[in-house]
Amino acid sequence: MLLLAAAFLVAFVLLLYMVSPLISPKPLALPGAHVVVTGGSSGIGKCIAIECYKQGAFITLVARNEDKLLQAKKEIEMHSINDKQVVLCISVDVSQDYNQVENVIKQAQEKLGPVDMLVNCAGMAMSGKFEDLEVSTFERLMSINYLGSVYPSRAVITTMKERRVGRIVFVSSQAGQLGLFGFTAYSASKFAIRGLAEALQMEVKPYNVYITVAYPPDTDTPGFAEENRTKPLETRLISETTSVCKPEQVAKQIVKDAIQGNFNSSLGSDGYMLSALTCGMAPVTSITEGLQQVVTMGLFRTIALFYLGSFDSIVRRCMMQREKSEIADKTA
Amino acid sequence: MLLLAAAFLVAFVLLLYMVSPLISPKPLALPGAHVVVTGGSSGIGKCIAIECYKQGAFITLVARNEDKLLQAKKEIEMHSINDKQVVLCISVDVSQDYNQVENVIKQAQEKLGPVDMLVNCAGMAMSGKFEDLEVSTFERLMSINYLGSVYPSRAVITTMKERRVGRIVFVSSQAGQLGLFGFTAYSASKFAIRGLAEALQMEVKPYNVYITVAYPPDTDTPGFAEENRTKPLETRLISETTSVCKPEQVAKQIVKDAIVVTMGLFRTIALFYLGSFDSIVRRCMMQREKSEIADKTA
Repeated sequence: MLLLAAAFLVAFVLLLYMVSPLISPKPLALPGAHVVVTGGSSGIGKCIAIECYKQGAFITLVARNEDKLLQAKKEIEMHSINDKQVVLCISVDVSQDYNQVENVIKQAQEKLGPVDMLVNCAGMAMSGKFEDLEVSTFERLMSINYLGSVYPSRAVITTMKERRVGRIVFVSSQAGQLGLFGFTAYSASKFAIRGLAEALQMEVKPYNVYITVAYPPDTDTPGFAEENRTKPLETRLISETTSVCKPEQVAKQIVKDAIQGNFNSSLGSDGYMLSALTCGMAPVTSITEGLQQVVTMGLFRTIALFYLGSFDSIVRRCMMQREKSEIADKTA
Repeated sequence: MLLLAAAFLVAFVLLLYMVSPLISPKPLALPGAHVVVTGGSSGIGKCIAIECYKQGAFITLVARNEDKLLQAKKEIEMHSINDKQVVLCISVDVSQDYNQVENVIKQAQEKLGPVDMLVNCAGMAMSGKFEDLEVSTFERLMSINYLGSVYPSRAVITTMKERRVGRIVFVSSQAGQLGLFGFTAYSASKFAIRGLAEALQMEVKPYNVYITVAYPPDTDTPGFAEENRTKPLETRLISETTSVCKPEQVAKQIVKDAIVVTMGLFRTIALFYLGSFDSIVRRCMMQREKSEIADKTA
């Protein structure tokens, strides 16, 4: 009797697995596609541009610094696979003014045609205790990380809906899946991206436009080096729970998920666990993904509680150390 | 054998249940406590102030409009339980400038002592399709809902950490737990509050300061009436999945929470809900296209 039920269950799961391609989005074909990458002159953005270029896409790089743009262009062009490919560079601050961003997208579309995929990679990180961060940091991070993703997306969305095809990638962070010591301003901006993406996906799904939110871990980029200069001790200790990744790996995964139209993009086993655990009410693009989430959540939440306990004790230990040394300083 | 394992499991769960009060935070005593409520002149904020006042707290109401503040003050004072209680009103825009907010908190602390509990209830909602919302809305909602919660929290956090006691309440929304059609700008601002709160809680836990994030459903307030004026059809249909609550109920629950296996099943249920939301959106889109074609041929 039990054996029969188990057999039915296995057959059901196999059936779902076979049916899955019928309901998943049709993958986006990169050869000849127009891909716009903001923040494309360095770090993860540049690697994403390279990855798409290697697969035959036409790239528009958007960033602020013209010199870095030209350098990145040279680097990307080394990976061309045919004569027709083009890398276009446009310099603008994507968080400053929507009209400027709209113009940039118009320019890009005049030269390379309508945008097939937009990758919002422009962003920066800053960490510090809530009361130590400069007050302007909260607005600044939100402006660059969030508004800097809103404006380009808004500039391409109408055309994508008309053409009934498109991909928009938002680069959040593991700090956009859980709030960590020192990341009050940064986590808020990366959580905001997720809220935007979930709501946007629900609006554009019937138009065959798919949103991907990537949650990279700490990645070895110039941005990360900058972030580490002012990182508090507790944040550093907690971050040592996951390892630093190479931007090429991160980029490969993001492009793969974006082409497929997966809402969630994460890297490694930590990334997998964190994404399953924090999926909440996020949409799924494949039945197997949904099934995995349903089955693993209880276990992952249990593991997560142990992690949280260890983070709390790191914070407490650092606090007590600091107080001991303050007392020692006073008596010295 | 199975029976023994089940018995052990039940005993373990009971043990956890008994141990729980030992590791949970000690409840905050409201009588005589200084509670600051931003957005306290109407809606959920006002009801939270009333709820705390009824339990003996001293209230500082913070909002922009002075007339609404005075009206709210009169309404709250009707619920006093002793002669000493005070309701202080201070008018400021909490999202404008941090220094102004810092001053307001200083003033309040000079009159009513250090802040025991801060309730960040100042906020507004606006819905519309992503490409129909005015571009300025994204920045505006983020400014009011997020920065307007950051600034007061920053103004009280150092004193709370020094005194080793405090509560900070952030009022997010169910739209801060899932993104819904029409709420791109609003959900983003409410998700941001959650990211802030999770990170902040990890920082202040060893100082006995506790953060509460409230996720109210649609609540019958003036703010909600305003939100409904421009709500798209899809958003309205999807919102009918949950019922509208009374602000008094919401306030009671928030105050209660501020002061102390099923997951796989819920995710399954959630996936069905998501499916139904998607089909509402698709149906509305097809309806709209049909009527556009009909208009053209007419």
